[in-house]
This record gives sequence, C-alpha cells and structure tokens, in this order.
Amino acid sequence: MIRGLCKLLLVCLGCATAGSALAELVVVVNARSGVAAMTRNEVVNVFFGRNRQFFNGLEALPVDLDDANPKRAQFYKLLIGKDLSDINAYWSRQVFTGRMQAPPRLQSTDEVLKWVVSHPGGIGFIELSRADARVRVVYELKP
Amino acid sequence: MPTQERANRFATAPTALLFAALLFFAAGLAAAAETFSIHGFGTLGAVRTDGDDVEFVRDLSQARGASDRWSAATDSAFGLQAGWQPAAQWQVVVQALSRYRYDRSFRPEIAWAFVKYEPTPNLSLRAGRLGTEFFMLADSRWVGYSFLTVRPPGDYFWYLPFYSIHGADAALTLPAGEGVVRGKLFYGRSRGSIPLADEQWDIRGSPMVGGYLEYQSGPWQVRGSYANLRFEHDLPLAPVLLKEAGIVLAQADADFLKTRGTRTHYYSFGLVYDKGPLQAHLMLNHIEQGSNALESSDGGYALVGYRVGEWTPYLGYSRVYSKAGKRPPSQVAGYVVADSHSDQKTVFAGVRWDFARNLALKAQWDGIRGDADSLFPYRQDRRATWDGRLNVFSMSLDFVF
Repeated sequence: MIRGLCKLLLVCLGCATAGSALAELVVVVNARSGVAAMTRNEVVNVFFGRNRQFFNGLEALPVDLDDANPKRAQFYKLLIGKDLSDINAYWSRQVFTGRMQAPPRLQSTDEVLKWVVSHPGGIGFIELSRADARVRVVYELKP
Repeated sequence: MPTQERANRFATAPTALLFAALLFFAAGLAAAAETFSIHGFGTLGAVRTDGDDVEFVRDLSQARGASDRWSAATDSAFGLQAGWQPAAQWQVVVQALSRYRYDRSFRPEIAWAFVKYEPTPNLSLRAGRLGTEFFMLADSRWVGYSFLTVRPPGDYFWYLPFYSIHGADAALTLPAGEGVVRGKLFYGRSRGSIPLADEQWDIRGSPMVGGYLEYQSGPWQVRGSYANLRFEHDLPLAPVLLKEAGIVLAQADADFLKTRGTRTHYYSFGLVYDKGPLQAHLMLNHIEQGSNALESSDGGYALVGYRVGEWTPYLGYSRVYSKAGKRPPSQVAGYVVADSHSDQKTVFAGVRWDFARNLALKAQWDGIRGDADSLFPYRQDRRATWDGRLNVFSMSLDFVF
C-alpha cells in the first residue's frame, strides 16, 4: 500500500517535472575512475557517506548542489523520495555528532562537472545532456 | 554551599571564554580558509505538564524540570561547531553547547574537541573529548533539527545522563552486498555530574568502554550495541539524607548503597526503516546496574512518522520499567532504592512542520501512564500525592546553520 502511494507520488512528480521542463538527471563519475555502472543503493551509500569507496577501492568524493539550485531537490526526490529538509536533517546529525562533514555544495552544473573531472574519485549529478567524454554516466534517475 | 559554587564558577569561566573565543576565531577564519567550517544548531523549546507532583526532565542530567507552568529551560539549547581540515586525512573539531544542566545553569561547555584521522576512507580514528553512542542516536540528542520528535523519547533516554568521554574511538565500514557493515569501539573516561537533590554525583573519571555493530542497506538500518561504565564515586547520599530528612546514613546502609567500583552494563538494539515519506524506529535497551542503589531496567520505544508536504505527523509509544534487586537492609536503604524505581508507559503524538529552509516547528503531547512508585525519571517528587499519570505539552523551534 505504501509502495503504491510512493509510486503515485512519483508519477505526480513526473507530471510536475515534465510540466516545468526539468531535464533528466544522471549520476556521473570521472571517466578514469574505472567505475562503469552503479545501483541505486550504491549511489545512496556514496551520497550519504555510508560508504566512502568505490568497488575498486578508489575513494569516492561526492559533490552536491546548493539548496537554491532546483536540481538538488529533484535529485533526492527521485533517488529516495525525500525532501530537502530530510536530507539536511540527516547531515546535521552526521556533522554535529562529529562523524563526518557533508559533501561540498556547489552552485551550478558547470562547477559539478569541473569537480568530477578534476578529482579521480569525483561523483556528482548533472543533466544527461551535459554529460561529455570526460565523465561517465553510472546511474540514470528515472522519474 | 558557597565555596563549592565559587569553585564551579571558576572552573566554568574558562569554558565560557573559550566559547566566545571560538565564535570570533571561527568567524574570522571561515571567511579566510576553505578548509575551515563553522556550523551551528539550536532549539527554542517550551514545555509544561498538567501536574505539580513531579518535575519533568529531558534526562537525569538536569537538576530541575518542568511542571504546570511553561518552562523554556528543559529543551532549549544552542551549539556551535568549528571544523578545520589541515590535511586530507585529518580533521579537528571543536563543538560548544549551552543547555540546561546538572548545576541549574546554561553555562556553555565544550561538548566535543577531538582530532580525527582517516588512514583509509572507511576507517576513522578519533581521540580527544568525544560523544558517546551508548544507544543509537545518543550523540545527537541535543540536535533537535536532526530528529522528528521534540526530544528523544524519555523512557528510553532518561537513564543516559552521559554525553562525552576523554578517550578514543575507532570506526570501520565494510561494504557487504548492496549495504554496509559498520563497527565502532570506544574507550575513555566519563565527564560531568548527575544532580541528586541539591547535591551532585560526580561521574568524572569513570572508565567507559563500548561498541556497536550495524548493518545498513537501502532503507533499513539495524544496530546492536554494548557499553559498560565503572563508577569512580559514590552517590552523595549522606548529605542528601541529612538535609532532606535529617537522617544520618548508617555505615551498613552506605556499604549496601555504594556505587564506587560498581559496573553498569548497557545493552541496546535499534531498528530503523526510512523510505520516502515514511520513517519508523524500534529501539530496545537493557541496563544492568552493578550497584544495589539503582534498579536494573528495560526500556524501549516505537515511533512512526509520515511526511505529507511540509508536515510530518508522528505517533510513538515508549515503556520503561525497573526490577528490584537485593532486599535493602533497612528502611532508609529501601527509601533510597525506591527512588530509582520506574514503571511507566508513554504514548506520544505530534507534528513537525518544516516551514522554511533549515527551520522546523514541532508540537507534541506525551501521555505518561505509570505507577505511583515510578519516581526515577523525575525531579522534586512528592511521593504522597504522585499517582504516576502526567500529560506533557511541548513546542519547539529547531534550527541549523
């Protein structure tokens, strides 16, 4: 029943995003990282700091967007169905217990691309249309 | 006791100074260096109950609590953290916290101050003044923004007045299928005091050791943990009994009620399901007291919340009860042991409203239904009229920056 509700929510969100013409989001890594594809849970593990390594041992360096950028809300909604306040609450627990700091938050897709390209373990989310040869698409967020 | 009070003031003055210095220092550096970060959190809370037979506290580290008039002391807090990363694998964190505490003041204290070293991305070693995770979520109890309810469920957390140690911990994460296994070990000496009537029970220097093992996959998180603590000092029973009841504590009773050198064991189990708008918690604990003065207890809570837009209504149930140990040798000893008895259940319901970025308003009702002899969780109890039933009304505004 809950799964049904979630699906309904996602469908509604799909309509809303289509209406406001938000582009399809993908997760990209540095093309030289050796990572070819990731599952949803692996993406979640990396972006939430649960696992800080890729399968090949390379340190994962996730990068996030600013709250002001609408793609941030879209990303977490599609990835795990959470609002930004849930995400920020999660990070406030990690930060204030001294466990870990949140990934850096950048302003734009250009900055995310720059980060991913300049860090071997860089991983971020961008619009599919912005992915180029310097990065590899490892996960597609389906509305 | 004016001398002791003066001593306290002297002891905390440097802390307050450090707090202020931290603010200025951090603000200046945050602008200058990219490896420097400053974050803060806080809560403005108001709480009242519908009775004046007992005072309601957040946990046993608070000397006084709320009764039938609104009080802002119980839940309000302000914390500030400065983090510095001198190199990729190193981090220095100092966190200050001001909240109502054992000495009836809001004197800021340095909650954590540690150096973290990560030789590999999934291994973390820390040393210094550290938060303790006796139970799941125990080290974020004052960060109201990070959880759903106004405060962590009392029946589960009342018994945990310990917040930090001087020591070290190590945490290792290993990928397991699509999930991760995480283990943590800590050792150190405790800090702080626990209030007892007008006196304080010194828990400084008591060695603590513990750890947990956790598995997290997708929306599921399950954790088992264990810790123990050996008390270095006795309860200040003699002065309390003399002052409160004019009773001189007999040597035989003092021996029976000693806490010094006794070891208390803490076992806990936690299960969290967190997916989309739904989050659910189930936590259980068992505390095995080494001293005859304190009854061993079992506690637990279940909590479910479901987000609808900016609103997350939630419903929970918690329970704590303790069992009598050895028969006390006298009436006086019996009176003291009775003070550590608890037997109650609480239904709590509320709503969290995320009305603006990094701000949350919460309102909550707790209906406590217990036995009249459930005294341990409270302050200033009037045993003659207390019937174990209490309604608690709370509101809070939580923020992070």
